[in-house]
Amino acid sequence: MDFGSFLSAPELKLKIVTYRDIFQNKALIEDRFGEEYIAKSALIKLDSVDLKNLSLKKGETVILKNSFGKVVVKAEASDSETPHRGIAYMPNSPWSNRLVSTETGGTGVPRFKEIEATVVSAKGEKITELEF
Amino acid sequence: MEKEYYVCTGCGLLCEDIETELEKRAISKVYTACRVGVAHMKENPGTAKFWVEGKNTDEATAIGKAAALLKAAKNPLIFGLDNSTNEAQKKAIELAKKLNATLDDSSSFSFGPLMAALLQKKFKTCSLDEVRDKADVSVFWGADPSDSHPRQLSKFAYFPRGKEKQRGWEEERTAIAIDIRKTHTAKICGNEFYQVPLGGDAEFMEALIAGLSGKLPKTSYKYPPKKLLELANLLKAAKFGVIFIGQDLLYSLETLAPLFRLMDTLNEKAKGDFFLIPLLEAYNMRGFNENLFEETGFVNRVKFEAGSVKHGPEYSVVESLKAKAVDAALIIGSDPLANLPYSIIKELLEIPLITIDPCETLTSKKAQVSIRSGVSGVEAGGSALRIDGVRVAFKPVFESKCPSDEEILFKIMEAF
Repeated sequence: MDFGSFLSAPELKLKIVTYRDIFQNKALIEDRFGEEYIAKSALIKLDSVDLKNLSLKKGETVILKNSFGKVVVKAEASDSETPHRGIAYMPNSPWSNRLVSTETGGTGVPRFKEIEATVVSAKGEKITELEF
Repeated sequence: MEKEYYVCTGCGLLCEDIETELEKRAISKVYTACRVGVAHMKENPGTAKFWVEGKNTDEATAIGKAAALLKAAKNPLIFGLDNSTNEAQKKAIELAKKLNATLDDSSSFSFGPLMAALLQKKFKTCSLDEVRDKADVSVFWGADPSDSHPRQLSKFAYFPRGKEKQRGWEEERTAIAIDIRKTHTAKICGNEFYQVPLGGDAEFMEALIAGLSGKLPKTSYKYPPKKLLELANLLKAAKFGVIFIGQDLLYSLETLAPLFRLMDTLNEKAKGDFFLIPLLEAYNMRGFNENLFEETGFVNRVKFEAGSVKHGPEYSVVESLKAKAVDAALIIGSDPLANLPYSIIKELLEIPLITIDPCETLTSKKAQVSIRSGVSGVEAGGSALRIDGVRVAFKPVFESKCPSDEEILFKIMEAF
């Protein structure tokens, strides 16, 4: 029996910063429903210490969750030279938008850039498919 | 034989030096363009397609159904158009007037306030050609053109030998990046990268203003004053300075006031003039903002009503959907199902949708009527405004059976 499956996985609070990526943009233009676009979009880049504390290896999936939504995406260590524990980077995409708050205070501008969410290992769960 | 050059509509730079090779009515090779531009120019399925309720149909049926849905709506929304020509945008404004519709674009949740201030002449701006010929200091603030406008540094801001900058980046130009992370552009800027903590841009601006005014620059996050003073001195020495503003900065600022104060201080203290250029991403967001401004005095978020025009956040795409104030939507060259928060999307899915787009998108898949239009600059001609406001006209690379956005809008109006 895998007793590990009964243990609760470590969870971290994150501030997610979204960004643009030229390779992702190219993949979007070529095939927005294709594998390459999904691989370059459904992705979160964590500080390597955060990745280790979550008991994750590169390419494993994580659940990102807040009161606005939940998505499963792949996780990897960021290539940042400076540590950024508690802050993670995610390409701007329909996956990051699932977590964006709709509390706009009547301004008409959702908070796309600085998203608060928790992260936990998805234990092998697949990347969220975009269905409406 | 004289070479033919085409315009890439892959981003707001509208590069005019693109060469192509054709094979069986499709572009097989693209020269000069960037990675995004090559993908964009090759994005040309070449065949017209019309869907109603997910089924293939003919043009007349799709146009007729789109017109019927819009006519039946009491308060339709027209959204998108940042990836359409000036001519299509003007046609959409005409349609919005006819329908008493709400009209908005993506600048509603990005560059809108900055574009309104630009058109109201609240700061100095200049052309990219002037940047290429004269600029000695370029600042990229919350902007990463290496990813969003890949040829911006090589064509205009840093690497070229401009008329008055023959020694180029090695001796005569300085590029500075101010950002919350080390972007690809920041890597090019080398030592002139200033990393600001998340949400710390407004304070950084105030500290920089202090530094420019001969005071000690202080921040709550204890940014080294010495480094801030070095930056202030670098900016002060500029003979022709330009600040490129990216979307990331706009999301960090609660108001644009600190930015305008910084521009005023720079123009007061620096050796030369300082200019600001927004790094708009969609190829013709500037066109949408200017065309609507010319017509109404507003850059976005308008509602036409019996000859008058209303403007305000309540007429933004986000708030009008949240308030369930619109009862049908015509989406042109945009994919809100991919770009908006999920709960807003849910509201959009509750109302009849019509899409006009060269690509199949998450939104077009859910639309009652979906019309495939020609890719601007590849299958359809027209004109657009570059990010600096320069008008660029373009012709199609090849004759396509796909109608342009403008033609589709014209036909929808004819069908009323």
